[in-house]
Amino acid sequence: MTSVFLRRPMHFEIVAKCHTTKARVSRMTLAHGVTMLPTFMPVATQAAIKGLTAQQIEALGVTLILNNTYHLNLRPGLEVLNAAGGAHKFQGWNGNLLTDSGGFQLVSLSKFTTITEEGALFSSPFTGEPTMLTPEESISIQHAIGADIIMQLDDVVSSLTTGSRVEEAMERSVRWLDRCILQHEKSGKKGQQNLFAIVQGGLDPQLRDRCLDAMIERRNGVAGYAIGGLSGGEEKGLSGTTYCPRTCSKHHQMSSGECNIKQCADKLPEERPRYSMGIGFAEDLLVCVALGVDMADCVFPTRTARFGVALTHKGPVNLKLSKHAKDLKPIDESCPCPTCRDGTSRAMLNHIVTHETAAAHAITLHNIVFQAQVMGRAREAIIAGTFPDYLCKFFAEYFGDTGYPEWCVNALRSVGVDLLEGNEKAKMIPGSGAKWEYASLDA
Amino acid sequence: MSQPSAAATFTFSLPSPSRYGPRIGSILYRRPGVSSEPIQIQTPGLLTATSRGVVPHLSRDNHRATSAIRWVNVPFETFLEHNPPLPTLQPGPNPLHTFLGFTPGKHLLSMSARDPYDGREMPANSVNHVSVYSLRGVRKLSPSDWRSYVQACQPDVVFALSDTPFTDPPYSQKRMTKSIDRSATWLSTILKPKEGEHPPNVFVHMAGGTSLAARKAFSDSLVERLYGPEADAVAPLVTLDEGVTGYSVDLVPLRQSLEAEERKNPRTSSPSDLNPVIPSHTEQIIPLLKSSFASVPETKPRLVNSTESPHEILQYISSVGIDLFDAHWAQRAADIGVALDFEFPVRHSSGDKRDIGHNLYDTRYALDLKPFADAFRGALADDSSSALPVCRCLACSPFHPATRIYHGYDTPEHSGLPARDPDSGPHYKPPHTRAYIHHLLHTHEMSAHTLLVMHNLEVLDAFFAGIRHVIAEHPERWTEEVEKFFRRYDSDTRVFTAAKESWKSVELARGKGRLAREKGKQEETTLGTVVETDD
Repeated sequence: MTSVFLRRPMHFEIVAKCHTTKARVSRMTLAHGVTMLPTFMPVATQAAIKGLTAQQIEALGVTLILNNTYHLNLRPGLEVLNAAGGAHKFQGWNGNLLTDSGGFQLVSLSKFTTITEEGALFSSPFTGEPTMLTPEESISIQHAIGADIIMQLDDVVSSLTTGSRVEEAMERSVRWLDRCILQHEKSGKKGQQNLFAIVQGGLDPQLRDRCLDAMIERRNGVAGYAIGGLSGGEEKGLSGTTYCPRTCSKHHQMSSGECNIKQCADKLPEERPRYSMGIGFAEDLLVCVALGVDMADCVFPTRTARFGVALTHKGPVNLKLSKHAKDLKPIDESCPCPTCRDGTSRAMLNHIVTHETAAAHAITLHNIVFQAQVMGRAREAIIAGTFPDYLCKFFAEYFGDTGYPEWCVNALRSVGVDLLEGNEKAKMIPGSGAKWEYASLDA
Repeated sequence: MSQPSAAATFTFSLPSPSRYGPRIGSILYRRPGVSSEPIQIQTPGLLTATSRGVVPHLSRDNHRATSAIRWVNVPFETFLEHNPPLPTLQPGPNPLHTFLGFTPGKHLLSMSARDPYDGREMPANSVNHVSVYSLRGVRKLSPSDWRSYVQACQPDVVFALSDTPFTDPPYSQKRMTKSIDRSATWLSTILKPKEGEHPPNVFVHMAGGTSLAARKAFSDSLVERLYGPEADAVAPLVTLDEGVTGYSVDLVPLRQSLEAEERKNPRTSSPSDLNPVIPSHTEQIIPLLKSSFASVPETKPRLVNSTESPHEILQYISSVGIDLFDAHWAQRAADIGVALDFEFPVRHSSGDKRDIGHNLYDTRYALDLKPFADAFRGALADDSSSALPVCRCLACSPFHPATRIYHGYDTPEHSGLPARDPDSGPHYKPPHTRAYIHHLLHTHEMSAHTLLVMHNLEVLDAFFAGIRHVIAEHPERWTEEVEKFFRRYDSDTRVFTAAKESWKSVELARGKGRLAREKGKQEETTLGTVVETDD
């Protein structure tokens, strides 16, 4: 419709835009197929979505998954990946694949990582030997892995970090982007793989703005932009348990996270895909989509499944609770996932959850489909011109009985959607307001 | 409770019955109103074990995609954590199938009170209950409750309660007498005809422990004409055996008793002790099984639970004439990272003795990009002219699914990707490799076990198909083929021991710690949210 970014190997085409919010539907064609955006990417950290097979993921209608460079580089290692002919073949996945650069894991998984201008120095978790990951090496590793989208190495700092370290990290991330672009250009892999930049800058809007300017200048070297630096490096932080809205709300900086996303999405070139890293709660996904984000990933839906929590349009359902033990209804009767379509009862899931891996598989299948449905319905609504209505309906169904997270209400107001309009009785919950089914509510 | 107008029929045909020795047969299970095609299970064949009602590691789509899974046994004891047990609450036809997600037209479901693989010491049974194990502790299961659960769940086959002691062996003669008396009484409880109820298809566990005389006495008691109150209890049946569909033997309690007896009377060394080819106690168990089948009709199916190797299976087929074996050991092999790789009949008997599978934890597989088994190829093989048979499991022969879920504005007309023609047959992909599973095992990824269990069940199913083929087509070569198998494959199953060690070390290094860490994280998320909501 509006703009097309056409440069091998990526074809990015905006199909429709929301008349009110910044949301858009686009068609992203990569070497391993077409992915309709906005989309959620399930995470296959170690080259497998927990417990499932590549064939199952394909049947769920997922077209783009994520692998972790840091993990795959350690195990199975490049020798194996090269022998197998790349990560696609190694895991039997023929769809699109994205790898992160490994920078985030260096900070979140290793306490002893030292960042120098050359790269990140860390001790190998297996041998303890000091190991250096440079931007060039990160790109080379990602070339060997062979993902359709690869990420620059960035200097990740915790969103709680303040002061000169944030500025240093931002500036270094820009310099590292140049080295990544150079490495990517000379590799001969440009015809198959697409490099994304990661916009940095912590929670400081000025820094972030400078970073945006610098990275947009380098637009000819990159195929898309990720919005990072919102979640990294908290003490025990892995993407998924700590990220933007939660991180921010914990420290009463409620609006900062979404403001950063908004600031980035507003400024980033329209004809490039925008990827918000580590976002996975349904309400966060929809706010991000409304702010103009096209892609997001998070381990949350697959991790929470292993602990017995199924995601539904009425909020998460904790299947470990005894109130589900005699409930012969499926998780969600209208859900198209294999688990619900088969009529797997909550009672049966309650019987096996945390005892049998098959329970994790059943709920993982469901949660991946739930995420895909949230995003698929968003695409349909954007096309139909009803995305603001969809937001209102989704939030009413999801939060109607508990109250709306304040930050979501504020964030959506900034793009012209008022969740509370015509809904005087609606409550607002300060903080993140994330919904959970608590054991304590179980009589 | 509503009853189907016509009963399902279980027929077992044995073209040339033999009391002791290899035999091929076929079970036809016709379920009225479900499908025109009956379920067919050829024997010798396998039954799939379940844990808490599921085939371990398999989601429902994957257990359906595994053609080896036809007869599925459901130990019921875990459901006794709730009263009434959950499956008894399931409305509609075929309640057990519905509750557990098995297909009435494809899967034959049997129900046993206990997990036949569980040999843990248990409190004593009484004249009116069996001690069963659930996560909430030991439960007492009475024969009349068992009958009512069976009527509510409507399994296709039920194992009658058996008084098998799991107290500290060995057992006295008095205890064995009690055992066979109670087992016979409990059998009559489930056989007792009742107005408006279809009699279930009952398999009876052949009681008698390690005593030849007791085993003989129990099987005699099945075929003896009943008199007095015992006859009235099961009338119009004249003998207990008339109501019995088949026979079963659980090996775990037998092995435990034999071991205990040996500890008590240390054996003087015998030639069989020095021969590592014979797995533990098989030689002692064979005469015990034969005594159980001495007087009962030879035309009914015989099922043995908890064998531990293909060698053992071949011996029970050869010497006793067993028709059905549980696949627990092959499923367990998938738990500990072993990909089974053996064939019967053996085509190439030259070369070194081989293990019956690959311990994929072993670093020698880190770079091994071959499919799981040397004896099979995937459906998409580079060399389709290869003489190797195809392993149809989703690890060796994965394919692009014919259909996928669409979520909104992503159908082919919008994405521009062509839809796959669902009628064009499976579009196969290359097999998953040993290197991939090696990686998944070492990174503690559950997908490893999912792929391995589907593979192991198919390898075991192909093993039984080969057994049936030799018995049917070349019965004169049976003994020779069994000997060839023993020469070709190491019966010492050292590969399992090694795999168990690797499995344990990875569990220790990553498993527990990782689970604890993940639990911590999960709690962290929850707790964090709690704080914020209360804020």
